[in-house]
Amino acid sequence: MTVNNTIAHQRLILSGDRERFKELLRKRLIECGWRDQVRMLCRDVVRENESNNISFDMLVTRVTPRARAAVPDTVKKELLQKIKTHLLTQKDQ
Amino acid sequence: MNDTGCIHLTNFKAAKGTNPYKIIHAFFVACTSYEARRYKATSCLCFSCGQPGPRMHSCLHCIYFACYGGHIQEHSKVKKHFLYVDLSYGNVYCAQCQDYIYDRELTEIAMSHRLKEAKSLGMCVPFTPWIPNNNEAMALRRLRKRRLISPHTTIGLRGLQNLGSTCFMNCIVQTLIHTPLLRDYFLGEKHKCKAQSSGKCLVCEVSKLFQEFYSGAKTPLTLHRLLHLIWTHARHLAGYEQQDAHEFLIATLDVLHRHCMNGVEDNGEKKENGRCNCIIDQIFTGGLRSDVVCTSCHGVSTTIDPFWDISLDVAGPGSLEACLERFTRAEHLGSAAKIKCSNCRAYRESTKQLTLETLPIVASFHLKRFEHSSQIDRKISAFVSFPAELDMTPFMSSHRRAVEAADNNNAPEGIFEDNRYSLFAVVNHVGSLDAGHYTAYVRQMKGSWYKCDDHMITRASLREVLDSEGYLLFYHKTVLEYECDVS
Repeated sequence: MTVNNTIAHQRLILSGDRERFKELLRKRLIECGWRDQVRMLCRDVVRENESNNISFDMLVTRVTPRARAAVPDTVKKELLQKIKTHLLTQKDQ
Repeated sequence: MNDTGCIHLTNFKAAKGTNPYKIIHAFFVACTSYEARRYKATSCLCFSCGQPGPRMHSCLHCIYFACYGGHIQEHSKVKKHFLYVDLSYGNVYCAQCQDYIYDRELTEIAMSHRLKEAKSLGMCVPFTPWIPNNNEAMALRRLRKRRLISPHTTIGLRGLQNLGSTCFMNCIVQTLIHTPLLRDYFLGEKHKCKAQSSGKCLVCEVSKLFQEFYSGAKTPLTLHRLLHLIWTHARHLAGYEQQDAHEFLIATLDVLHRHCMNGVEDNGEKKENGRCNCIIDQIFTGGLRSDVVCTSCHGVSTTIDPFWDISLDVAGPGSLEACLERFTRAEHLGSAAKIKCSNCRAYRESTKQLTLETLPIVASFHLKRFEHSSQIDRKISAFVSFPAELDMTPFMSSHRRAVEAADNNNAPEGIFEDNRYSLFAVVNHVGSLDAGHYTAYVRQMKGSWYKCDDHMITRASLREVLDSEGYLLFYHKTVLEYECDVS
């Protein structure tokens, strides 16, 4: 997923709102149990790997698609809606 | 977790010190200032493909930003620069060890930057779990006895003898004992008494009470010492007749607050905004905002007053949310109640609105069920429903500002605010004005409610709690947020 380097993106960083949105997302993902779920997924992948020689890159490649799929729709909707509203109101200023 | 780094990082630190990491981290990982954010916004792009991601890394050996899609790896191989920093989390990758490496010194630098970043953005400080210091670690190793809290534990639950219409006191005590933050404060022995065991300090007495409740003993307690202390410091409550539980709550909080700050002597000196730093203020004090708008000149006169609880009128059956909505509704003060507008310098009609500026960690609601007037004394028993989880956002000052701003197409405030509260105690008055009895429901643990009827403690269901009449309702902030130290 590539993010456009637009003025909007720069503004989000400058105002600190990108950090705030990240923190909100982090909070929601913890509350709904996703973080614990991903931790278990990582454990499973390490166990599956019999050769006991798992690298960070291997782990990321194997877990990422499963982890992405496990994000609840409610969390996605809330963040998307809040970011969208925020950017729209910013635009008019 | 191994935080001694790796030989390659150690060698790098020996040669170049921690400055390269410090600078990269302060400007591109946890931006510690507005200037830093400017740099990050404009120059944090992959030198190879020009994209701001995915997973940007910065070379530790030279000035080179690149994404993890092969570009940082390429730079590393070509230049033989083996250490690079992940700009999302600040972790150092060692290409020779083929793994992220954790170094205690760098971790501490990262932590201090995160605190600065949070302060710079007015955000809450990230939560760090408790780590014992050397003395505490030694003590834990020496004192090997541990208490295991099983799922069906009855710890924290004890009955209280009724000393003759003292059920009003028993209910308030049960509520305080099961207020999570207050419990943590007292069990952590945070109270350092200035009164030197004179036996007159109410805070010390409450501290002893917490030890009793969490000792695991099950016999009911008799609170004659506590009762006597309250009588001494709140004369209007003295006597063996039934008192109002709400009045007793406020009086108790008041005495605890005074004794926390000044020891037993009453030479109180509050801070300007009415908040001191005692545990009572930290937990129970919120700010109530009153805006009075002159209908002629539209000038606004605002005051913010501290509060420990919110008293709500009961107008027939309804819900707590409806009561709060009425409480925070804009009210037109008619011609009989003109106020002097400082702008117009004349008496004008106005609208007044109350909103919650800051919420306490424990929000207490008092349903005004007892009416005392010259004609009649009566109790309003209408059913007012209350939720187990309550979002206070609609009643906040920030929300009202956001609503007004949205009408003017300005950016909404408060989308990052978390105003969720969870019910943890309910005090009920059963019976009539003359012949009544107080009982309390307390949440011992999540999902575990108990009815406290003087010395009788019985398991209760959430349904039973929510169906009860409700006189005093106690809510605790669901997610705790930590402020930066003011320095």
